[in-house]
Amino acid sequence: MRTNYRANSGVRFRMLSDDQLQELFDGVLHVLEYIGLEVKHEHAREVLKAAGAWVDGDRVRLPSHMVKDALAKAPRSFTVFARDGNPEHDIHIGPGRAHFGPGPTCVYFIDVETMERRPYQLSDVPNVAKVVDSLPNIDFCESLGSVDNVPYDLSALYEFAEMFRHTTKPIVAWSFDYYDSNAIHRIAVEEAGGQDAFEKRPTYIHYCEPLSPLISTTDSLNKLVFAAEHRIPLVFTPCPLAGGTAPVTPAGIIIQAAAESWMGLTIAQNIQPGLPFIMGGVLSVMDMSAMILSYGAPELSLMMAGITELAHFAGLPLWQTGGCTDSKTFDEQAITEGSLSVFFSALSGGDLCHDVGYTESGMTGSVFQLTAMDEAIGYARRITRGIEVNEDTLAVDAIHRVGPNGHYLKDKHTLRYYKSEYWLPNLIDRTSYEDWVLNGENSFKDRTNARVKNILANYEQVPLKPETEKLIDEVLAEAEEWVKQQEA
Amino acid sequence: MSEILSAMSTMVIEGNFPDMVDITKQALEEGLNPEQILNNGLMPGMDHVGVEFKAGNMFVPEVLRSAKAMQVSMDILRPLLAETGIETAGKIVIGTVKGDLHDIGKNLVGMMCEGAGFEIIDLGKNIEPEAFVEAVKEHKPNILGMSALLTTTMRTMERTIKALEEAGVRDMVKIMIGGAPVTQDFANQIGADGYAANAASASDMARQLTA
Repeated sequence: MRTNYRANSGVRFRMLSDDQLQELFDGVLHVLEYIGLEVKHEHAREVLKAAGAWVDGDRVRLPSHMVKDALAKAPRSFTVFARDGNPEHDIHIGPGRAHFGPGPTCVYFIDVETMERRPYQLSDVPNVAKVVDSLPNIDFCESLGSVDNVPYDLSALYEFAEMFRHTTKPIVAWSFDYYDSNAIHRIAVEEAGGQDAFEKRPTYIHYCEPLSPLISTTDSLNKLVFAAEHRIPLVFTPCPLAGGTAPVTPAGIIIQAAAESWMGLTIAQNIQPGLPFIMGGVLSVMDMSAMILSYGAPELSLMMAGITELAHFAGLPLWQTGGCTDSKTFDEQAITEGSLSVFFSALSGGDLCHDVGYTESGMTGSVFQLTAMDEAIGYARRITRGIEVNEDTLAVDAIHRVGPNGHYLKDKHTLRYYKSEYWLPNLIDRTSYEDWVLNGENSFKDRTNARVKNILANYEQVPLKPETEKLIDEVLAEAEEWVKQQEA
Repeated sequence: MSEILSAMSTMVIEGNFPDMVDITKQALEEGLNPEQILNNGLMPGMDHVGVEFKAGNMFVPEVLRSAKAMQVSMDILRPLLAETGIETAGKIVIGTVKGDLHDIGKNLVGMMCEGAGFEIIDLGKNIEPEAFVEAVKEHKPNILGMSALLTTTMRTMERTIKALEEAGVRDMVKIMIGGAPVTQDFANQIGADGYAANAASASDMARQLTA
């Protein structure tokens, strides 16, 4: 029996002190209380006003007690479930748990056959979902693109249907507005077996994006209100550009982004107290030569670590970012930027790290980048899992047995632990030079390509219920009609 | 070149816009004509800025201050140039299309084009096709520039071009489009005259279209 024993088994990373976090926290409350946001949604403004907000036209300011109240209502820990009940695909969000997945809405895609860049097609969605479903370190699914060859307004709906068919891992569903959000939800509810069953075991997270600086847009709030009313876990994530649409300093962009996200939090918690809410957003610098939002900058990882610490300080999970790159191709830059940001994200313990597989500054999705990053995440996770210290891992007995001048290769202690203590690489090559030559002198890129092809060739679908398939057909047919009516 | 013109070039390069009004007036008082001031004072400064920006020695915040300096001086010179019948770079009406509230890209394009000597009429964001039509009728610009960040709102560019056609003013202007999801193919498809991938190439494109 030990008393007062303290264990730190994982790698611990902390950048900001409690005093600094309190300063950031107070900064967010100041922005919300004294500056406020433009809230371009009448119903949301009414909800806020009824709860004590100061409303002046579109401008809404929140007294800090309202924000603290909303923070107190939102859970720090909750579960998003696999649609087929496979517990290995459930995501348990909570302290010390970092999860990873791709991002949404890229315009282009790296073709899985030719590895050439081209517009994102509907046929790409199943491939992304299959790769996500198969990779051991990718926990949730987004599609890595906006479908180009279906009616624009329906691209998110088609995308969801194809993702839902081809992975059982939880999905983070992007959508345009109320119509497709509703259609997506009908599909998920059908598979779950009704709204009540869905609320007990939600299988997807709803994704909304407010606008920087300090605007809650109509479409983002249409979506937020829908999610809150139907108790769908919600990501509310702005995408400010430091030096462009947000202050240039990390502390400044963090408080602005947090204010933008917490306006959504406050609306959501007043509609649906206790709604699982994941704070955003994506914070990086605007490159002052290329004029793009950099997805590979060190400042991205730094700012994301800062806002993660603020989220956890406030008792919220965070929508992290990593595994992405500004590189246009599968090269050293892509792997350096992606791997470092994945490792930093894992260290910060950000709850859901998205945009894994983004290339060309978010313009092009790539399952090759995604698959390479699965390896980097595995690597990072082995480090962050840390060192377990107990009587058995101290191995004093084993050292007694082997003694000086022996070896551990056939000791039972080695046999017991080597598989759990070692991380086994999938893509990284450690063979001898001779074996490497014998195996065809494959590069990391060759092996990544082969793994993608192998996953796609051997993927086994866990089908949806027949009634869900039927509903998807109905929902898509209705939606096509709706689009025609909209255009008429 | 006179000392004052050289000083103006330097002030443009340094982005010293607060002092541009005084020095522009002083140059005019010294008897320099507006065309000389533009071509031998402001433009050499801006050309230098363009070269340095492309070389990676100057960055957007500095370039925008230079463009602002240029614009402050041009506000004084433009009416004088018009009086004497001298053609300036031209006029651009610019806006972010309906449904889209993202406007930083459009603002950058506006400021870069201002730096290239254009007069910019910025309609703002979330602009209806009809408002673009009215602005074309009212301001008679050389170029109409439209921006969208969202794939959803890109289509409004097409609707705006149709509205211009229906109003019979399409041929009065060159149309330039831009924004993250916009491509050359899309520009061709909807019948725009030019597409630029970023703000710096947008000002080059504007020069080409009005050449």
